[in-house]
Amino acid sequence: MTTSTTSGARISVDSAIEALARRRDDQVVVSTMTVMRPWRTRAETDRDLVCVGFMGGASTFGLGVQLARPDVPVWVLDGDGSLAMQLGSLLTIANAAPRRFLHVVLHNGVYDTSGAQPVLAEGRMSFADMAKSAGYADAVRFDDIESFELALDDLLETDGPVLVELITEPTGDSYQNPEPGTSPDLPADGRPIASALASVWPKVRDSLANGPAA
Amino acid sequence: MPIAEAIPAADLLRALRDAAVTDVVAVPDTHQRSLIELLDHTEDIRFIQAATEDEAVALAAGLIVGGRRPIVQIQHAGLYACVNHLRGIAGDGRFPMVFLIGLLGRDPHRMPSDHAGSMVRLAEPLLDTMQVPHWLLDGPADVAMVTEAFAAAEERQGPTALLIGVNTA
Repeated sequence: MTTSTTSGARISVDSAIEALARRRDDQVVVSTMTVMRPWRTRAETDRDLVCVGFMGGASTFGLGVQLARPDVPVWVLDGDGSLAMQLGSLLTIANAAPRRFLHVVLHNGVYDTSGAQPVLAEGRMSFADMAKSAGYADAVRFDDIESFELALDDLLETDGPVLVELITEPTGDSYQNPEPGTSPDLPADGRPIASALASVWPKVRDSLANGPAA
Repeated sequence: MPIAEAIPAADLLRALRDAAVTDVVAVPDTHQRSLIELLDHTEDIRFIQAATEDEAVALAAGLIVGGRRPIVQIQHAGLYACVNHLRGIAGDGRFPMVFLIGLLGRDPHRMPSDHAGSMVRLAEPLLDTMQVPHWLLDGPADVAMVTEAFAAAEERQGPTALLIGVNTA
């Protein structure tokens, strides 16, 4: 199943998260960039991994989990600017051919956190087309939530790797520069995001080692 | 008189087995070609190829989350290419991740620090800057350092590196 819709409509990030969250089971979910915080608020479990401070790393981070545990589905919630930083990962993932791997790219067309500068070649490129050319088993692009909801259950049953490109609305969440003396991985709220990965991944490891497969 | 000699690929493979390595995540390194060829015919250690060294680091981290014991096999140029993932994932993420780094073009008569070329000369200082403990494998007797590097990575919960001084034989 490959579709490409270009009506000019856009999906809200919240509705995309809601559609995925309702289908959340025991999957390992790797989230990054602007989707990370709302996803964790809505659907976080002990199988969530976060990516901050190494933009572009989410897709192959998730691939590694899936190659270690082919019995457990992995979802990667990626950003357009983030995937653009590691486009080669499409080849790496297609080559490894993980069967239970859903790669969701939230394509809002801008670098939201830095002030909405456009993603390069915006309006002329398609991550779904790139994924198909790279060798993903399937790749689909949606710009309305109804079509996405209708297709999602089938996509989750499709042998991967599958990429879903969602044309989404920018969130307008500008990044707040940290206070002098702090750094991007040590924000002013006192919660060190980057080191959160250090505290989060052992829990996911333990959950995978001890819990049931999805 | 050279101060470094080639390590047979079979010796390195044995050292990887001794260290219980499950996966080699690699951006193919000319310097370690014979080891790659051997791994290609090895069933008990999986060879996983990545397009970039950044990806190799992230992929290895995911393998560790899933309970595997990978090693990242790259070249010195790849080390320079993946500095932020080395810092952000392996370092800040506190992953016990071991790197196998080929010093392509290293003159076996000189220590890497005495090299005129920056690719060989700057690898060790960069690892020092990144606070990554490292070992130089300059001959067959040094392969025991593979197990040592894994033990150190687990002890510190962070990355360590093994530098391959001469083309593997």
